[in-house]
Amino acid sequence: MIRLTLSQMRRSAGRLAAAGLAIVIGTAFVAITLLAGNVITRTTYDSIAAQFTGADLVVRGVPADDAALDAVRGTDGVATADPQLMTYQQLEAGGRTIYQGVLAEPTDTSVLPLEVADGSLPEASGEIALPTDVAERLDAAPGDTITLVRNVLEGDQSSEEDAWTEVREQLTVSGTLTDPYGAYSMQGGAAVAPAADVAGWEDDLAAPGEEPVAPTTMLVTLDDPAGVEQARTAITGALTNGAAASGADTADLKVVTPEEHAEAVASEMTGGENVMFTLFVLVFAAVALLVAALVIANTFQVLVAQRTRTLALLRCVGADKGQLRRSVLFEAAVLGLLSSAVGLVAGVGLGQAALTIGRGMDLGVPLPATVTITPAVVLIPLAVGTLVTLVAALSPARAATRVAPLEALRPADAPSAARGAGRVRLVLSILVSVIGFALLGGGVALSTVGQEPTTGLLLAVAGGGLSFVGVLVGSVFWLPRVVALAGRLVGMSGPTARLAAANTLRNPRRTAATSTALLIGVTLVGMMSTGAASARVTMDSELDSRYPVDVTVSTDLSSDPTSVAAGDAVVAPVPAALAGTVSDVSGVSRVVEARATAATVTGDGVDEGLAVTVRGVTPDDAASVLRSTEMVEPLAPGTVVVPEEVSENWDITDGQALTLTGPDGTLDVTAAVTDLADTGMIVVPDDLSSLDPDAPVTSLWVGLDDPSDATSVVPSIQDAVADTEAPADVMGAAVERAGFQQVIDTALGIVIGLLAAAVVIALIGVANTLSLSVIERRRESATLRAIGLSKGQLRGMLAVEGLLIALVGAVLGVLLGLVYGWAGAAAALGWAGTPVIVVPWRDVLVMLLVAAVAGLVASVAPARTAVKTSPVEALASE
Amino acid sequence: MDTTVYVPIPDEGTAARPTVTPAVRARALTKTYGRGEAQVRALDGVDVDFTAGRFTAIMGPSGSGKSTLMHLLAGLDSATSGQSFIGSTEVTGLNDKALTALRRTRVGFVFQQFNLLPMFTAEQNITLPVELAGGTVDRQWLGTLVDTLGLSKRLTHRPSELSGGQQQRVAIARALIAQPDVVFADEPTGNLDSRSGAEVLSFLRRSVRELGRTIIMVTHDPAAAAYADRVVLIADGKIAGDITDPTPESALAGLDALRTVASR
Repeated sequence: MIRLTLSQMRRSAGRLAAAGLAIVIGTAFVAITLLAGNVITRTTYDSIAAQFTGADLVVRGVPADDAALDAVRGTDGVATADPQLMTYQQLEAGGRTIYQGVLAEPTDTSVLPLEVADGSLPEASGEIALPTDVAERLDAAPGDTITLVRNVLEGDQSSEEDAWTEVREQLTVSGTLTDPYGAYSMQGGAAVAPAADVAGWEDDLAAPGEEPVAPTTMLVTLDDPAGVEQARTAITGALTNGAAASGADTADLKVVTPEEHAEAVASEMTGGENVMFTLFVLVFAAVALLVAALVIANTFQVLVAQRTRTLALLRCVGADKGQLRRSVLFEAAVLGLLSSAVGLVAGVGLGQAALTIGRGMDLGVPLPATVTITPAVVLIPLAVGTLVTLVAALSPARAATRVAPLEALRPADAPSAARGAGRVRLVLSILVSVIGFALLGGGVALSTVGQEPTTGLLLAVAGGGLSFVGVLVGSVFWLPRVVALAGRLVGMSGPTARLAAANTLRNPRRTAATSTALLIGVTLVGMMSTGAASARVTMDSELDSRYPVDVTVSTDLSSDPTSVAAGDAVVAPVPAALAGTVSDVSGVSRVVEARATAATVTGDGVDEGLAVTVRGVTPDDAASVLRSTEMVEPLAPGTVVVPEEVSENWDITDGQALTLTGPDGTLDVTAAVTDLADTGMIVVPDDLSSLDPDAPVTSLWVGLDDPSDATSVVPSIQDAVADTEAPADVMGAAVERAGFQQVIDTALGIVIGLLAAAVVIALIGVANTLSLSVIERRRESATLRAIGLSKGQLRGMLAVEGLLIALVGAVLGVLLGLVYGWAGAAAALGWAGTPVIVVPWRDVLVMLLVAAVAGLVASVAPARTAVKTSPVEALASE
Repeated sequence: MDTTVYVPIPDEGTAARPTVTPAVRARALTKTYGRGEAQVRALDGVDVDFTAGRFTAIMGPSGSGKSTLMHLLAGLDSATSGQSFIGSTEVTGLNDKALTALRRTRVGFVFQQFNLLPMFTAEQNITLPVELAGGTVDRQWLGTLVDTLGLSKRLTHRPSELSGGQQQRVAIARALIAQPDVVFADEPTGNLDSRSGAEVLSFLRRSVRELGRTIIMVTHDPAAAAYADRVVLIADGKIAGDITDPTPESALAGLDALRTVASR
């Protein structure tokens, strides 16, 4: 039986190849995912190992406080002992700000895995050595000074808000550093400052009443590196004794070599990035494999149907049902194993190629030279690929057992439509779909109307998944009907199209399975792109109303006027040339200069203690740069527009009469509180002049030609402002939008890239179904040729078939994707405002186009086989 | 009893008959398969004429080359050498496009396996050739065909709902719908029981007698051949005899004579 099965496989090799390809892609996907997870683990290990290269021993598990340090330093054989301490601080120079990890300089600088590129390591307090790229961004060379900005506790500490004061200190750059081993590449590099400075900064970060947390890792060097074991025991003893005296817990204490430490840390990452990443990507691999399973099931169904005579003959000569079933399953196992092995090799090859290219591209993270092949990388893809193939072949194997011996004696007609699917399946699919969609709707309602976003989203996701399963299970019932309808429409265009339409309906199950395979991928892609588009628009309108100005360049926004005493409100002028500079940036449509002064506010119940920034802008100017003008609509002489935030800080109510007192006069105005996001009030310029005729320009309101270009325009503005070295901040909706858009686009790109594998497999499925049909319809094609179908018409017929199958899958997928995308966006973003329903037309068109082209391309090879069929075959009796 | 005379064909062939126009002609038509030692001459310099408006049977034992002759005459297969004509058109030497056009308008086929399209109704099957050619169906001719073939109550049925005989009658209607110059029938009764077979053969004869069609039928069954106006006998790739107005007995006798010749 095995020999027979193998010879049968050889005969069907071509037909199995496409199904095999589907599995190859699926398993390669799994293999690459696992390899990538390994690379992340490996990179982490390498970077941790590099951090400790210079140390002889690492002490971890106990706080590296002074007592512990003294205990270790006092141990025989220990040369130096330092805590591994890194603090994140804000560094500024030339208008640029960078958050940078700063490492405490160890006593023995050879412990540092960093190398000095220029200058030297810090020698005195107030010095800092910067990574070369950070020094470049800050435009600072050794000897230059940069500013360290940090908030420290000062004065009244009863209220947390008032207790923090911003402190700016000057630091001298002592040198620049490179990180040849990539030790800190995952932390964005490390600067180095004297240990005492770093410890001081870190201590200042603690909130009022909180004890600074001591680092838990200590780096130890020894007098004699060979005495590791002795020193290990000695240090453990010293620390245990010291802790016993103070009653501290030493249960976690470990004195280890750097290699042991790196291994321990890397293996502790089991809930970490690599696992999350692997699981996330494996979800998409699972989708790809599900689609592959559909393609395989389809192929085997057709193979069994085409072999009906052989199978019946086998039954006639004495094969029992079990033997036939085992034969089909054995064939599936061989196919699965072979394809999985090819997929594994392809995956490892691709992974290695990606690593090699990645290393050549200098990504900032030192990648390993070769992929790490663990047993899991080999066994999981092989097992999964084979198992999926076997499971997919179960139903065709059952069909093979149902072949009656009698069928060997019947004339060999083309296998006709298989029996319809069962009633149980229909009921089940309807039930699951209805429950699923009900849950989805409930989730959306809960999230938008009920304002319970977390529960709502969970419910919606569960409902969405359930309903999709229902829709897929039921596809065998409704999809052929849709194909029939589409076929009727297409059939009106002529006899070729009508033939094609009729052909797609001869075997509804096969057509349904093929279209469903494509439907899965397209639905998920459509859902993602619709969700992303809806999220983008929802966030855009939310941002528009919160930040009506695309970009604000301002000098007064950096310090919060609420914390500045009366009369001190910062009114540093914007350099006169800046407006010109900004309006020269391409993509900027208009720049409005807003003058401002500081004033005190008096009125009923108003908190009068503090000065407020008052801006003067004409209503026309405001309207020309604002995305949403309703927030400054009340602006008129005698009226002050009070942003909501300001009104809360000063206890101002809408419509209240206020008196503003500026440096040169007072002004009686009526307050109009709006949603405007600003830290100052707005009056017309004439009113501002009566407060302070010499009020300088402190902010520029910048309108962009197209706010969706923010991603490219905003950085240009930031660069232009930074180049003038004016102490001005750039912010606004466009800035947030740019960042937000980048996140959405990147996430969408990654997800669609991951789903692409499923779509490619589905398209292979379309080609496979077509070529199987062509083989099955040899005689019929020959008949059609004999009664006058031209070669062109035969090709056209198959092209229309391919188009029909692909487009029905794609169109339905897009529609389902829209529904799920909208529901998802509504459930996820209901809290952020009314979700806007968007159709991502461009993406939809691209998807339909890809499906149409793929459907046509899928018909090319089968058509070539079909036109080769001589009409003589129609006359042949066997 | 048997009044038909078995006449060996004269060397100059039947082309010399001046009275009727030949619908289909073959001249020195040869087809070989394979090369060298393994070469088989399926057809060896055949000269034959088929008269228009007649029902002719090509009869011979298995492997005699009768099917090959028909394939070449109909332009379904290419000849190794020689010529074949349908009317004044030389079929040998036409390209695929011209052959397709020829099949659409001037040739009809009836197959042993019926070869109807299972997803179309009887009527759709019948009209398909006209539609493929982009023409309009002559409803009156369709009505005539349907009536003659007794299919008027079966037009909306699919092939799976028809008996074998009915399916073959649909196939005959399909072959005749475009009013072709000639219809080729390949063992049209091979898959039918004898009653249905007789029925189909009567219909073929009626198509010739009443509708003025030309039909060339390949068969190995003397009883079937007896429905024809004339039987052309073929053996070992050569024309081996000609019987006019055959009866089952004369046809069988002709066939037996061939076998005796072959075994001798």
